[in-house]
Amino acid sequence: MKIAVAGKGGSGKTTLTATLARLFARRGRQVLAVDADSNPNLAASLGLSADKVPAPVPRELLQDRTTDDGSKISVLSMPASEVAAKYGAIAPDGVRLIVMGRVAHAGAG
Amino acid sequence: MRGLLAEIVSGAQDVAIADMEAGLENLSRGTPRHADIVVTVLEPYYRSLETGARVAELAQELGVKKVHAVANKVRSPADAAAIESFCKSRGITLLGTVPHDDAILDADREGRALLDRAPSSPAVRAIQGIADSLLA
Repeated sequence: MKIAVAGKGGSGKTTLTATLARLFARRGRQVLAVDADSNPNLAASLGLSADKVPAPVPRELLQDRTTDDGSKISVLSMPASEVAAKYGAIAPDGVRLIVMGRVAHAGAG
Repeated sequence: MRGLLAEIVSGAQDVAIADMEAGLENLSRGTPRHADIVVTVLEPYYRSLETGARVAELAQELGVKKVHAVANKVRSPADAAAIESFCKSRGITLLGTVPHDDAILDADREGRALLDRAPSSPAVRAIQGIADSLLA
């Protein structure tokens, strides 16, 4: 199940996302929490201390590839599970957190 | 960015939950296309509901099958009724209603998780119900 939480700034979406992530983990699910906000602060709401906040996932992991029919696609240069393991941090209740970092400009990626 | 997020999330096991950008630009650029469920957080005031309506429209255009809402910072039956009637008129499933709760402000101020700071607060109890309905 893949859930995207949206809302205006200050709507409480970060608290909701973090609390849901930990509750899912407590119910036995393997949870990947993704901070895709350009002002990342999901870590604190998950209960992760500031010194354990992971570095953003580097965009360079995404490579352009041309398929057999000539169309261009972007693929990860390593399996998604490895990306999560390498760039993720483990938050309370075993939630794995990755941070996508700031978007450079519209249309990027 | 959107490609990277989509690739990582599509390979995730079990449950992936993403805290999206505050603005709508991520939706218009198609980031949540790979989501099964878009949850839009609604506060009981006009501009929040208008934003929620646009989020729902964009997500539906992108082909997201389930666009759900959570009501947040609800202080009164009138607040709850406003959000309920909004969701009904737009065909959006309301997953649950989180009351205004000072415990959230306390947790934010202290930089702690709500679940650690106030595990039996009204807000946590409401979010537990939302987690259950998402997993059901």
